Amino acid sequence: MSKTYRLGFFLNKNVLALQGLELVIEPGQIFGLLGPNGAGKSTTIKILMNLVRPSSGTVRIFGTEAAKREARSQVGFLPENPMPYEYLSGEEFVRLAGKLLGLSGQALDTRVKEVIGAVEMSNAAKLQVRRYSKGMVQRIALAQALINKPRLLILDEPTSGLDPLGRRLMRDIILEQRSQGTTVLFCTHIISDAETLCDRLAVLVAGKKVQEGKVSELLSSQVPVLEVAVEGLSKEQLSSVGVNHELKQEISERLWVRVTDQDLQAFIGATQRLQGRVTRIQPIRFTLEDLFMNALQQAETKVGGTFS
Amino acid sequence: MIGSLWALIWNGYREARRNRVTVVVAAFALVLLFSTQLAMEVTVMTFDRVNTDVGLGSMSLMLVFLAIFLSSALVPREIERRTIFMVVSKPISRGLYLVGRLGGNMLTLAILTVVMSLVFAAELVLLRSPVTQPIIAAIIALYFELLVLSCLGFFFSSFSGQTVAAVVVSGLFFAGHLSGDIYRHASRSDVQLVQWVGKAIYYALPNLDRLDLKVQAAYASPVAWSDLGASIVYALAYSIALMIGTVVIFERRDFR
Repeated sequence: MSKTYRLGFFLNKNVLALQGLELVIEPGQIFGLLGPNGAGKSTTIKILMNLVRPSSGTVRIFGTEAAKREARSQVGFLPENPMPYEYLSGEEFVRLAGKLLGLSGQALDTRVKEVIGAVEMSNAAKLQVRRYSKGMVQRIALAQALINKPRLLILDEPTSGLDPLGRRLMRDIILEQRSQGTTVLFCTHIISDAETLCDRLAVLVAGKKVQEGKVSELLSSQVPVLEVAVEGLSKEQLSSVGVNHELKQEISERLWVRVTDQDLQAFIGATQRLQGRVTRIQPIRFTLEDLFMNALQQAETKVGGTFS
Repeated sequence: MIGSLWALIWNGYREARRNRVTVVVAAFALVLLFSTQLAMEVTVMTFDRVNTDVGLGSMSLMLVFLAIFLSSALVPREIERRTIFMVVSKPISRGLYLVGRLGGNMLTLAILTVVMSLVFAAELVLLRSPVTQPIIAAIIALYFELLVLSCLGFFFSSFSGQTVAAVVVSGLFFAGHLSGDIYRHASRSDVQLVQWVGKAIYYALPNLDRLDLKVQAAYASPVAWSDLGASIVYALAYSIALMIGTVVIFERRDFR
């Protein structure tokens, strides 16, 4: 699918928020959308929730077109920086969400208590939302997303602005939902969250998908990198070794250099020929952050969509 | 669907109540108190007429002001604060959302109209003035004028900001009371084009004058229920047409 926003007074400025994005999310997994600001993560989620209409392409939720009401009846949605009606109490807001999802009577009462308890908001449920802290708002918004026992839970930046306790609770709830068979789609720019929670993820940059796969596969597919300490050479001498390397830092006449496993022997040989010494070699653990930064570099951009 | 609609309507009323919109009733009671004192000082023979005119006039002014600003601000504010995200993403159509929000607005205005009418009626009884059929007809007509104004507010705010919508609807309120004059003046013109334009403006603008029965109420001139019924049907038809337009525009809108 693609999405182009038309901006300006004469609608003559185009922002390509999404460009030919293709995603298939299997039931029962936690799927993460990772990307910098303006990558198209929230736009993707808004298209799924019928808040934004795609410029082209189709979106289906469990086989039903996302724009249809039946599709959304199986989904729980937590938007980014949620803003419940501030004049309602937390419980009233969750109850309203339940009613909009067709719940009523005893079933609604029971479910409201369950979800408010699950997000640990029972003590503050009768307070008006305008008196809540940001973390409390996030919790009550999550409660309304869980009210209908969704088959698909869509979370837009669920841990942003939460304290460590709140983040822990949010992670626990996401994992618990998966264990109950719920499919979870969430987007984030917090890499540690994606690394901890996701079974599978896609990296979006400037509205395009640049990586997709299982987290473990994505990390193991990267070329092994080693960090090497070189002594007895200046930076200028090192630059003439003739083997691919990346100078990371210089600490008290010791140069720390990154080379691939493949180039290591050639690098050591070349260093010795220039009268230098390799004093330490250590493997670098490739993280999702490295993958993310590489993806950004490959896409030659850092933030924002494509403007035309 | 009915459960969802009622939940939205009740929520709209709850919003108005908790945001202390009901303070308008207290303001109305104060205005009545002072205006009655003034009327007793300056009138001899026309006390009932002045009292009815001031009472209905101040009720109309306050409720019209409230209807314009509540309806013009409601949807843009929901979009701006992003409260709409967690409502429209539920399995309800955007049309149902709009009808529910309008219903909440009209429920608030209905309750305010009833309470203000009771305050006004109590004042009339205390002052031994009659509560006449035209007064009741004028209040019913006023409520349907509020409906038309609210629908105009929803229509313009579905594609513009709240300030623009409020200003345009305020302008249309005045123009709507003058649309009959525009028609009459245009009909007298010798130029065919002016006649056509005058008629087009007349039919496009809401004819709010036919929903204004304050003069009949002040002069205790009976209003035929059939005439009132016809005006109500006109107001309903105009409001439905506006809401259809609002839903069509709103369905196509992206919430970024």
